[in-house]
Amino acid sequence: MNVHTNADQIEINGVIVSATPGQRPALVDGCDTVVGLFQKRCEQLGDRTAHREKDFGIWQSYSWKDYWTHAKWIGLGLRALGLERGEVVSILSEDRKEWLYADMGIQCVGGIASGVYTTDSASQLEYLLRDSGSRFLFVENDEQLDKFLEIEEQADQIEKVIILDPDGLHDLRHEKCVFLDELYDTGKAFDAENHGFFEDEIAKAKPEDTGLLIYTSGTTGAPKGAMLSQENVIAGCVSGAHALPTHDDDEQLCFLPLCHILERNVSAYFPIAGKSTVNFAESTETVFDNLQEVSPAHFTAVPRVWEKVYSRVLVLAQEATPIGRLCFKLAVSAGLKRADYLLDRKPVPIWTKINYAIWDFLVLRNLRRMLGMDKMRRGGTGAAPISPDLIRWYWAIGVQLLEGYGMTENAGIASINLPDDNKIGTVGKAVPGFEVRIAEDGEIQTYGLNNFQGYWRNNEKTVETFTDDGWLRTGDVGKVDEDGFVSITGRLKDIIITAGGKNITPAEIESRLKFSHYISDAVVIGDARKYLSCLIMIDQENVEKFAQDLKVPFSDFASLCAAQEVVDLIKKEVDEVNKEFARVEQIKDFRLINVLLTAEDEELTATMKLKRSFVEKKHAGLIEEMY
Amino acid sequence: MAETLLDIKNIESFYGPIMAIRGVSLKVEKGQVVTVLGANGAGKSTLLKTISGIMDPEKGQVVFDGREIQGMEPHKVVSQGIVHVPEGREVFPLLTVDENLSLGAYTRSDKAEVEKDRQMVFEYFPILAERRNQEAGTLSGGQQQMLAIGRGLMLRPKIMLLDEPSLGLSPLLVQEIFAILKRLNKDEGVTMMLVEQNAKVALELADVGYVMEVGRIVMDDTADRLMESEDIKSFYLGHQEEGARGERRWKRKKTWR
Repeated sequence: MNVHTNADQIEINGVIVSATPGQRPALVDGCDTVVGLFQKRCEQLGDRTAHREKDFGIWQSYSWKDYWTHAKWIGLGLRALGLERGEVVSILSEDRKEWLYADMGIQCVGGIASGVYTTDSASQLEYLLRDSGSRFLFVENDEQLDKFLEIEEQADQIEKVIILDPDGLHDLRHEKCVFLDELYDTGKAFDAENHGFFEDEIAKAKPEDTGLLIYTSGTTGAPKGAMLSQENVIAGCVSGAHALPTHDDDEQLCFLPLCHILERNVSAYFPIAGKSTVNFAESTETVFDNLQEVSPAHFTAVPRVWEKVYSRVLVLAQEATPIGRLCFKLAVSAGLKRADYLLDRKPVPIWTKINYAIWDFLVLRNLRRMLGMDKMRRGGTGAAPISPDLIRWYWAIGVQLLEGYGMTENAGIASINLPDDNKIGTVGKAVPGFEVRIAEDGEIQTYGLNNFQGYWRNNEKTVETFTDDGWLRTGDVGKVDEDGFVSITGRLKDIIITAGGKNITPAEIESRLKFSHYISDAVVIGDARKYLSCLIMIDQENVEKFAQDLKVPFSDFASLCAAQEVVDLIKKEVDEVNKEFARVEQIKDFRLINVLLTAEDEELTATMKLKRSFVEKKHAGLIEEMY
Repeated sequence: MAETLLDIKNIESFYGPIMAIRGVSLKVEKGQVVTVLGANGAGKSTLLKTISGIMDPEKGQVVFDGREIQGMEPHKVVSQGIVHVPEGREVFPLLTVDENLSLGAYTRSDKAEVEKDRQMVFEYFPILAERRNQEAGTLSGGQQQMLAIGRGLMLRPKIMLLDEPSLGLSPLLVQEIFAILKRLNKDEGVTMMLVEQNAKVALELADVGYVMEVGRIVMDDTADRLMESEDIKSFYLGHQEEGARGERRWKRKKTWR
C-alpha cells in the first residue's frame, strides 16, 4: 500500500481520502458526493476502460467516456420526461453496463435509483413500484417487460418504461414504453438545448441527498426501502479504501445482483473511487468460465460460490491419476501448514516456506490459474456465514479469502478481516471510521457515517431501527472479542423459545449445519415446541455425487431426497453438529425439502438463503410430521 | 404386473472424456411402455446403446430379468431378448424385405415359430407383405421404419428399445406407426422402452415417462401426470403460455416439479 499523509487527507494507492474515516466531511479525491466523484473520474480517465461486457462471445471494452455520456443522456432524458429531484426510478435488469449507466444517470440529476431483482414476481414488482412511487422504470428485456404489463393497471403511476434490450419487441406499440436508444435521443436533444444542465445538477448534489433505495429482502413482513445518501456511499468508499486496497489497473468480475448492496458497492462505487475495471459475467451459469477469462485482482462472492469452486476442485482431483491425486494431497497439506502460521499471524518457518514454494510451483499455481485466481490479491465473502475450514483451504492454495460483514442499513460495510489481521470464524474488526458495540441483549449495533438515513416513507420502522443515542440496531446478535474482532451468532428476531423456556439462536446451529458440503441451507424450528427440529435443503451437486459414488439409485431430486442413504448421510452430518451443542440445543429430527428451489420461489431470497417465515408456512406439513 | 423387467442403476457412460450419462436410474416393468424424453444431446440414445451393449458403462448396473448385463457383448444382449431398433432405421438396403426380417430372427432356431412371427409382422404391417421381395433401400422412410420394427419383432423380444421411431416421418405416418406400437403392446404384450423427441405421441403411448437433460433424469412420473406438468407443456408439448402481450418470445424457467 502506498500511503502519504497530509493533514486530514491521506493518499492510498493514488486516491486521496479522509485520513480519519468516520469524521465529516467524508471525502474521496476532494469529492463529498458519488456523483461529483463520478464526474471527476470520467474527466480524468476518459478513454480508459471502465467496463467490459461480452457481445456474441467476445469481450468488448467500454470507456469511462462512454460511462459518462450514456449516464448523461439517461439523466437528461429522464429530466426531459419530467423526473424531479428526489424522485425514485426503478431498475429491473440483470447486471450489465446499462444498469450502471442508469444508476449514475439517475443519481446525477438528483434522482434515487432503486434496483429490483429479476427473480421477483410481477406482484412483488408492483409492491416495489407503488411503495417507491416510481414514475419511471427501466426493464431489461421482453421477459421483464411482461412483468410490468401484467400489473400495468395496478401500478398506474408509471409514466414511462425504458426497455434496454429491444430483441423480440420490434412490433411493440405501447404509449408508455420507449427503448433505451430513444431515451438517449431525448437526452441528446435536451443537452443541445440546455448546455451544462447536467454538470449543474451534479454540482447541486449534497452529501445528505438520498442517492439509492435498496429494498431489504423482507424475510419478515413486506420489504422496506433503505435510503442511502451520497455521504453513506462515499463513507463506504473511504472505509473501503482503507481496508480493501484497490489499484487502478485492477480487474474485477461483476455477477451478483446489483440490487444487492454488496455487489453495488464492489462493482459500482468502489471502482469509481478506485479506478478499477469491471467485467460483467455473461450469466450466473458462466461465472466460473468468466472468472478464468478475467482473472480478477479481487473477487467478492457469497459463500455458496466459494463452496462451488471448492467442490469442483475436489471432483477434478478425484478424477485425476493416482499420482496427480497424491500430488494434490501433498500440495494442499503443505499449503495448510503454511496457512496455519499465516492465520495465527506467526512467522512461517523456513522449511515450511520452502516446502510450500515447491508445491506452489508444481501444483498450486497451476490450480490457481485454472480457477482464474492467479492474479487474485484477495477474495471476499459475505452476506452469509462461511465454514472456517473452507477459508483455511483457500489460504492453503494461496488465495487470501477474507470474511466481512455488512448490511444494507450500514451501506454494506461494517467489519472485515484484513490479509494481515485476520481471525477465522469472525467477520473481522470494524472498518476504519466505523464503530461496533454489543448491546445488553447481545445485539450488534453500529455507528458511523455508513449508517443509512432511514426507511423510505416509513418513519415508524426508522425510529425502531435506531437507538436513542443514534446507533443502528443491526438485528444481529454477536460478540466482540478483546482484539476487536466481531463474530455473529444469529438474528435477534429469530430467537427460539422452546416449550421448556430455553432461548436458542437458531442461526448458530444453522450455520454449523451449512458448513457441511452436503447441506446448502437449513432452518431450525422449535418455537414453543418440546424440542428442536430442522428442515434441510441439500446441496444438489454434492449429494448427487455422493449417491452416484455409493451406487444409490435415484432419478429426480425428490427421489434423491427420499433415498435412505441420503437421509442417513444428512443424519450423520446433523449428529456431528449436535455434538457441539448442549442437549436442549440439539436437533432431534429433521426433514429434507424435496423440491429443488430456485430464486424465483418465495422461500428463497435472491441470494438463495431460506426465508424462515415462508419455509415454515410452505412446509408446515413436514414440520408437523416431526412433532 | 409389477414385475421389473429392466432395472437400470446409476449408469454413467462416456464418449472419450465426455460424460454423456451422469448417473441415470430407471425401471421398466413387464408389459409397460416407458418413454424417455429429452432434447438433442440429453443422452437418450446413449442410454439405449448402453443397455444394448453397444457402449459399456463406466459405472452402474443394468439388470435385465434378474441378470446383470452391463458390459456384455451386443450379440449376447440380443440373445437375452433385448432388441434395439436404432435411430435412423438402419435396414440393410440391398437385401429384400424378407431377408431383412430373416436377419431379425438370425439367433433363433425354431423355424416354424419364426414363420409364424413373420406372418404376424405382415399382419401388423401389410405393406411389408406387399413388398416382401423388394430391396429394402427402395422403401419409403415410413416403410423402412416399419421394417425396422418388424425386424425387431422377429426375435420375439422380451423388450424392444425404440430409438426415435418418429424421426423424419410425416405426422400421419407417425400416428399410424404409433397406433401399431400400441396394438403390439396391448395385444402381444411387448414391453417397450421408447426414446422420443415427439413428446406428444410418446406420452400418449407410454405408461411412464422420464425426462432427461444433459445426462441426468430431471423428472419422472406417469405419462398422464407428465402431460399435465407445466414444464412438460411448455418445453415438450409446445403449449404457449398466455403472456401479457400477444406474442411471447421468452420461456419460463424449468423447475421440473
